[in-house]
Amino acid sequence: MGRILEFEKVTKRFGGLLATNDVSFHLEEGEIVFLIGPNGAGKTTVFNLITGFVKPDAGKIRFRGRDITGGEPYEATRLGIGRTFQVVQPLPALTVRENVMLGTFLHHPRRKDAADRADQVLDFMGLRSRADQLASGLPLAHRKLLEVARAIGTGATLLLLDEVMAGLNPREAEEVVGLIRRLQEFGITSVGGVEHIMRIVMSLASRVVVLDQGRKIAEGPPGEVVHDPKVVEAYLGSKFVAGSARP
Amino acid sequence: MTPLVRRWWPTALFFAVITSMPLWIHDGYVLQLIFRVLVFAVLGMAWNFVGGYAGQLSLGHVAYFGIGAYAMTLSVERIGWNPWIGVLLGAVLAALAALIIGSITFRLRGPYFALSTLAAAEIIRVLVQNQDELTHGAVGTNAPLLFKAPDIDAKFFWGVIPLLAAAFALSTWIHNSRFGYRLRAIRENENTAMAVGVNPAVDKLLALLPSAVFTSLAGSIYASYFSFVGPDTVLTIEISVQVALIAMLGGAATVWGPILGSVVLTLTSEIFKTYFEHTHLVVYGLLLIVVVIFLPGGVISLFTRRWSFRRQVGPIGAQQ
Repeated sequence: MGRILEFEKVTKRFGGLLATNDVSFHLEEGEIVFLIGPNGAGKTTVFNLITGFVKPDAGKIRFRGRDITGGEPYEATRLGIGRTFQVVQPLPALTVRENVMLGTFLHHPRRKDAADRADQVLDFMGLRSRADQLASGLPLAHRKLLEVARAIGTGATLLLLDEVMAGLNPREAEEVVGLIRRLQEFGITSVGGVEHIMRIVMSLASRVVVLDQGRKIAEGPPGEVVHDPKVVEAYLGSKFVAGSARP
Repeated sequence: MTPLVRRWWPTALFFAVITSMPLWIHDGYVLQLIFRVLVFAVLGMAWNFVGGYAGQLSLGHVAYFGIGAYAMTLSVERIGWNPWIGVLLGAVLAALAALIIGSITFRLRGPYFALSTLAAAEIIRVLVQNQDELTHGAVGTNAPLLFKAPDIDAKFFWGVIPLLAAAFALSTWIHNSRFGYRLRAIRENENTAMAVGVNPAVDKLLALLPSAVFTSLAGSIYASYFSFVGPDTVLTIEISVQVALIAMLGGAATVWGPILGSVVLTLTSEIFKTYFEHTHLVVYGLLLIVVVIFLPGGVISLFTRRWSFRRQVGPIGAQQ
């Protein structure tokens, strides 16, 4: 056990907007931590900072004790940080298997090995029957799963899931929850998530970090955080407190 | 048939047929026409590494073509080298030029990249045009012969086949290798590519290097065959455009596409020149429009729909 990710006093400015304002949090090995907060709170920016798509103006980011502040996205991937994108970006001209192979090629240089590994991941994700289909023909729910499969395929140990449940129906979302719980099978020890569906967050997260307008306003087990008055005010609205008896 | 035979018999047949052509085609004009088809097939395949697989629409490949042509010519004329050493020098210089041009132009994306490659090629053309003492300027000069009489047509024809085979082998390797998939990832979405561990800047350069070298080699042979180098013949934008069209028309990001594209484009332009005289460019343009609209995957998609190497298709719409 140990801290797999440390996000320390990180600030990111876009022009006059403080997208991330002196935010600190960490992820322990084996933990599932969700970032929540209203739209524009800076959740995706935090993921972009961790994976190097956005460079911080101040602060430190460490992965397994190693300073990765300001690194490049492909470096983050090679170190073992996998991610999905909020707007799903499968490569439409490639088949489902080939999309996952883009990930598995990272540690399996030979085509055959990469394909075998991709099939294992597709089996896990329940997409194996779609393997030879072009990614452009997949319905949204499957494209979301494909996005996750590709990230798993990179051999990541930390997986960052950016709103993978959005747009899924409750049954599909339930399936994905089941898959996330079983990610250790693929060597993924820790998961960071951004999600709007509170029911999912409550059932999966060991901790949540609440962001509002670029600041961290609360952190803790989901059951406690949802009762925090600051959180209620900023994000959930008073209705949720009344209904929180059935999370 | 064993899988190996099943997979490679079309390739073996193709190379056997073209290699035998000088033995049974005795019409010099026809042989010259097919020679041009083969040279442009090499150029199309070389362009395809960068423009097809990596989706970087270069409009400046004539720069490497011209470097090959001029390096061979000038190393004979100015240094007194054997022309074949000049061919190698051209390949080395083209690789160097690719490193420089690539590291500048690959910072740009989409149309900006295309325009910057066009500008880079124009800079080289203007440089050559203004170095009269070294290059004979705008007038140009005679290029040395790589093959001597007799049977010079057949020798040139056979000279280009190893180049074609090498380009074909590299295309096949790229098509099926991890490197090829990285290039496709870059073409489709650079963010996704980086998220699977691809460094786009490095991989684009790695695709451009062999592309430039093959283009330079083809440029040397082409210039030698037509015995002439001049800024308006071996450094003209038209060649850049034609090479890109060949790959896209035939089928970008496919192994056979550029070969097919070269056959279709070179032959049709020749036929139209004969039958439509001054309006041949109009007909040629119309043909291109028709193919782009009705066969966005290139001419190869006519075949691959029915045949089993279906998966070699990468739609042209995937270009940025």
